[in-house]
Amino acid sequence: MPRRSSLPVTFVVPTLVILLILSMVPTLYAIVIALQNRELSSTAYSYVWFSNFVDLFFDRRFLNAVWVSVKWEVVTVVATMAVAIGLGVLMFEVASPRLRNIYCLLFIIPVLLPRVSAAFVWKFAYHPLYGIATYPYRLLTGGLIFDPLSKPATALFAVASVDVWQWGLFFAVIVLKLLETLPPQPIEAARLDHARRWQIHAYVTLPMLKAPLISLMFVKMIESLRSFDLIYVMTRGGPGVATETLDMYAFSQGFIESGKVSYASAMAVLMMIATVITFTMLWKRVQA
Amino acid sequence: MKLGRLIGKAVLAFAGFMAVFPLLWTALNSLKNNVDIITRVPRVVFTPTLANISYIIGRDSVMTGLYNSVIACGVAVLIGVVLGLPAAYAVARYPNRWAGDIQFFVLSLRFLPPVAVAIPLMVIWLQLGLYDTLAALIVTYSLLTISVIMWLAIPAFQAVPKEVEEAAFVDGYGAYSVFWRIALPVAARSLIGAVAFSFVLVWNEFLIALMLSSSNAKTLPIVASELSQQGMNVPWGILNASVVLLSLPPLLFLGVLSGFLNSVFRQKKT
Repeated sequence: MPRRSSLPVTFVVPTLVILLILSMVPTLYAIVIALQNRELSSTAYSYVWFSNFVDLFFDRRFLNAVWVSVKWEVVTVVATMAVAIGLGVLMFEVASPRLRNIYCLLFIIPVLLPRVSAAFVWKFAYHPLYGIATYPYRLLTGGLIFDPLSKPATALFAVASVDVWQWGLFFAVIVLKLLETLPPQPIEAARLDHARRWQIHAYVTLPMLKAPLISLMFVKMIESLRSFDLIYVMTRGGPGVATETLDMYAFSQGFIESGKVSYASAMAVLMMIATVITFTMLWKRVQA
Repeated sequence: MKLGRLIGKAVLAFAGFMAVFPLLWTALNSLKNNVDIITRVPRVVFTPTLANISYIIGRDSVMTGLYNSVIACGVAVLIGVVLGLPAAYAVARYPNRWAGDIQFFVLSLRFLPPVAVAIPLMVIWLQLGLYDTLAALIVTYSLLTISVIMWLAIPAFQAVPKEVEEAAFVDGYGAYSVFWRIALPVAARSLIGAVAFSFVLVWNEFLIALMLSSSNAKTLPIVASELSQQGMNVPWGILNASVVLLSLPPLLFLGVLSGFLNSVFRQKKT
């Protein structure tokens, strides 16, 4: 390949320096703010060191938010992967090449929507009186009211369904493309052994795709953490605290309710540490 | 077996319907008067009106939001292209012992919770006197666009056949002109996909824009979300129209992005 050249240095160094500055300054500053007692309403502050973090562990709303975030991660990641694999395999099995293309195009549309748009579309669809999604229920029960977004038991699932609508359908396209890249010989061999279709996929194709499927799941785990916009528009963390995830709680502590910027930042820092450690470990394992 | 296939086709058709129907319904609602939207039985036949759409287009706040979104996202993507593409090329073509670490660093930027970045940035921009300006938004979004474009462009450059570049070197091209005249044009299709993807990402961004703007620099998603908080009498038709306006630009990239996905997976085959 190329001989000695200044290209790698001139191309990489400026970009990396800018990325480092843009990422490290806010990250380090988040930690500094978390150790202080800043509030939005005043400019005075002093260092309180770890007392914000200690307070967090006695804050029941914070503990609830941790629990809601864990539930949110599990529900959205599992449901997205199930929808993606189910629809991907279905397309592979029963759709002609032309139909596949049409479905792929349709399935990409939801993920392109801004999450604010998706949230509005579904918030109105779930409206108990006028919503299109609750209409079948009103029709069947003769006008009874079903209000999924304002019941603590169903609110989280109703919001999660929008997330799965966006990502599950999109990932189904990727699962189909992955299936299409597989060599056909093992599938034909299994067919000659009279394996049923579901057996072929459960024991042959999906195990062959284990590595890319785990990477997909990894991507979804990261993206699931960014569901603030969906929850902000659809429920604002409510009813009560039923859908209040960590970023929602940090936002309302820092900006809506009390303006405790430092307290919010302490929460964000804990979140950052937890995600960086978890994802770094997972990533190293996926790569190994 | 026949029955199984039939059920499978029905499930797929239902999923395809579910993918677009909520959107089509929203588009339909944006053409309705409020009386036709607030009905217990959904109404398909109605007298269409352009009042909602003209209200949206005529509103200053919406137009300012649109302008802010276009400028902030456009400039941030431009910065991402100028800084991200060359860096991605260098990482892809001049491997050294840091290449793996650089790739992991770029990916790890995606782990950072947006709140954790937005809170300190708000304080920093306030202190610099740049809070609620487009400049602050552009700088913040650049972190996103540079890293995403780099992440997606590295494999795109790696997929360019090495022989083509080597032939160019033999013909006496320098390292920079090989990048300009060979690598960029050959990888162009995948690169456009990567750039489009980064645009969709910042266009759809909400939390950072919400926290870094209060009046002047509000982007379209923020303006749209505020429309819903206009008291008890929710203007559903207007809301639906603003959702349609907000969703149009990312949907314009539909063709580019599906082509991008196809090219990514075709490379894996070989």
